[in-house]
Amino acid sequence: MRNTLLSLLALAALAAPLSAQGSELKGKFFFKKTCKTCHTAGKPGKEVTPLTKTQAQWKAYFAANKHNKGKEKLGTGTDLKPEQMKDVMTFLIQHASDSPQPMTCGG
Amino acid sequence: MGTIRMDRRLFLKTAGATAGAVAATQVGCFKYFKKGRSTAADAKEIPTTCELCPNKCSAIAVVEGGFIRKLNPNPENPKSRDMLCARGNAAVMQVYDPDRIKQPMIRVGARGEGKWKPVSWDEAFDYTAKKLAEIKQKYGPEGTLWSSTEGFQEKFFVNLGQAFGSPNIVRHPTLCLASVNLAYGTTFGTVPSFDMLNSKYVIMSGANRFESIITPDTMDLIGSVMERKAKLVYLDPRFTVTAAKADEWYPIKPGSDLAFILAMLNVIIAEKRYHKDFVDTYTLGFDQLAEHVKQYTPEWAEKETEIPAKDIIRIAREFADAGTRALYYSGRRSSWYENDFQMRRAQAILNTIVGNWDQMGGMVPNASLPKGEFLFMPWDDPKASRVDEVKTNFPLAAASDGVYLKLRENVLSGKPYPIKGWMVYKQDPMNALPDQGKTLKMIEDMDFIGVIDLQMSDMAWYADVVFPESAYLERTDPVEVMPGIWPAVVYRQQVVKPIHDTKPNLEIVQGLAKRLGLSDYFDYTIDQWVEAEFKDLPIPMAAEHMKKHGVWAATGEAHYGKTLTPDHRFVTKSGKIEIFSERLQENGYDPLPVYNQIAQPPADRFRLILGRVGYFTHANQSNNVWLHEFMPENDLWINPAPAARLGIKNGEYVNVASSVGSVRIKARVTEEIRPDCVFMLHGFGKKSKMQSLVYNVGASDAVILETAWDKVSGNAAFHGTFVKVSNA
Repeated sequence: MRNTLLSLLALAALAAPLSAQGSELKGKFFFKKTCKTCHTAGKPGKEVTPLTKTQAQWKAYFAANKHNKGKEKLGTGTDLKPEQMKDVMTFLIQHASDSPQPMTCGG
Repeated sequence: MGTIRMDRRLFLKTAGATAGAVAATQVGCFKYFKKGRSTAADAKEIPTTCELCPNKCSAIAVVEGGFIRKLNPNPENPKSRDMLCARGNAAVMQVYDPDRIKQPMIRVGARGEGKWKPVSWDEAFDYTAKKLAEIKQKYGPEGTLWSSTEGFQEKFFVNLGQAFGSPNIVRHPTLCLASVNLAYGTTFGTVPSFDMLNSKYVIMSGANRFESIITPDTMDLIGSVMERKAKLVYLDPRFTVTAAKADEWYPIKPGSDLAFILAMLNVIIAEKRYHKDFVDTYTLGFDQLAEHVKQYTPEWAEKETEIPAKDIIRIAREFADAGTRALYYSGRRSSWYENDFQMRRAQAILNTIVGNWDQMGGMVPNASLPKGEFLFMPWDDPKASRVDEVKTNFPLAAASDGVYLKLRENVLSGKPYPIKGWMVYKQDPMNALPDQGKTLKMIEDMDFIGVIDLQMSDMAWYADVVFPESAYLERTDPVEVMPGIWPAVVYRQQVVKPIHDTKPNLEIVQGLAKRLGLSDYFDYTIDQWVEAEFKDLPIPMAAEHMKKHGVWAATGEAHYGKTLTPDHRFVTKSGKIEIFSERLQENGYDPLPVYNQIAQPPADRFRLILGRVGYFTHANQSNNVWLHEFMPENDLWINPAPAARLGIKNGEYVNVASSVGSVRIKARVTEEIRPDCVFMLHGFGKKSKMQSLVYNVGASDAVILETAWDKVSGNAAFHGTFVKVSNA
């Protein structure tokens, strides 16, 4: 129930207009603190950085709101709040592989 | 002016003379190095990482009785190997420099008057926090500027500025290599390494590699050239040490390097000498390039560059024939002309079409190493936009670094909003920026200036508070991964305790943060930070290894060609290597490099050009006792023909005047520079009396350089100033 609620909240946050962007800085922090616990080389989630996808692919990924090969919704099993999820999305899109300022999560 | 091709005999004669001169000046230093390894009972050897230049070589400090007796090279680092340059050795004197700032100080006289009151750290922190809080109250956090130069502890200073709420963090790249970074990034999505060790044919434009930074890869290239494994073609208005070692030197007309490259592209494409398979598979926009460069014939380029068309054609053919092992070297400091970005783009494109990407002897994307990270609490984003309006004026530039010269213009104008507080870490804007008069005006307009530095730089001399930082040999720093063909991770650990009342930058930042109510963001120690970084290193017992060795490096065969698979996506907009850049076009820039003539000096003036030598880093270290022996005073290179016309004699003082200032400096009358140029070295004519060896000695180029920048990257254009020279 908690996860479902989180996912709904996350979806609502993502549906907000683009002008209401999240924080890149905080997004980088939450991405590292939460997502990188699994998405690191040698770990089950394999390495994921902003460069893993293009901007369009990241937008589509967050719009689809699916995680773990579609088995669960984004944010499942994490304590990320919706605005924090928006921060993560902003960070990943702003530094995607085809963005003007591509970045690995190492900075 | 005719072109000059140096023959080998003249090269050796010149190089021998240079080596003799260096040997003569070194004699004074040798007394410090009579013994290599220590035999004293209490001697310790502690590995650490040099900070005297950006190369970050590994060194081993020999410590006896709590004093650093000498530094040895650490052979475990492939980047520095068994070599430590003059600068690296002289780091000992950075610690024992009598001119060091020995305790915090608050200004009591007028700015620049040099009257200081030694104070406690608490007093310095309290005073600074009060002043910053007042500015924040009156102008908002965006009313403060935080400027810094590179270093392992720079991040703490940048974080303090951000946590304070200022968007105005300005770092050094637009005074250095921003145009290279942006040009190669735009083309390849990354800035590669240049595998000079294995190159067969190297072209350098003004990158005085053999003289300005003396590291093992410099020695590799010198070795390759001298053993004739590689050919070196060198373009520079000056006959430098690199020119002396090159196979061919062309004193190219300044600012026309882009014409030379475009003509090379013209020849290679017209004669179908490019690497067709590579171009077809990995690049975007070759057909547009082919059409675009038809206008740039060698005959046209001869008029622009003063390099004969027949030589341009031959060099283009030789370069293409060397193919994947040909390199047009990008250079390091790329702040020359207002067309700098497009010139670097053209280099990148030329390298692309011969197919040297990710090849032995070509350009190689950097490998990296995983490293842990200390995660600290993030702060809120700044509410105001940047004062330098980067997003509007330089949409493709690195916003987090800022654009220094545009920033200074806006601060001076007070638009879009006032800046009244200036915090500086380890940077000397008084000498790093052109037009010192403007920087002084900016200083005058500030309500408060705080400087963190080891030495009383000219910037510190004009500050209200100076915070003395501990030298690198006195402190432990964050761990640094050095990406490259052979990536390495280096560790800088404390070798001796601080000999004066100084602190590492982190502790200075924490002292200020505490008083600014920002402690939560800096609630860690350097040891906690470093331990977190050790965690993900690919080394067994990483912490123990790094403390014992100071470095870990990938070894063995270099890996080439990892990106040369059909499904590899380059980190560009299209996913291909972008010869034609849509992103540039969308932002109003030329999508392919277009040549525009730059202004040439009128008959009564000279173009002032700059350069570097291997014993000073920028404006630093000219006051280091050991390094000062190499060059006690700078001088002005001037060709004998104009010198005779003006009645200027070698060794006599001249006045050099531009539209923004004038300096007095000794003339060096020499054939080793074009008649339409003069040259002077950075780092002299200091205003700070606590730079006692170079205070008012020689001249500072910053006094006479005019303000100009590259239109795409915002990189300073330092070679666009025309000066008059007359007897003093």
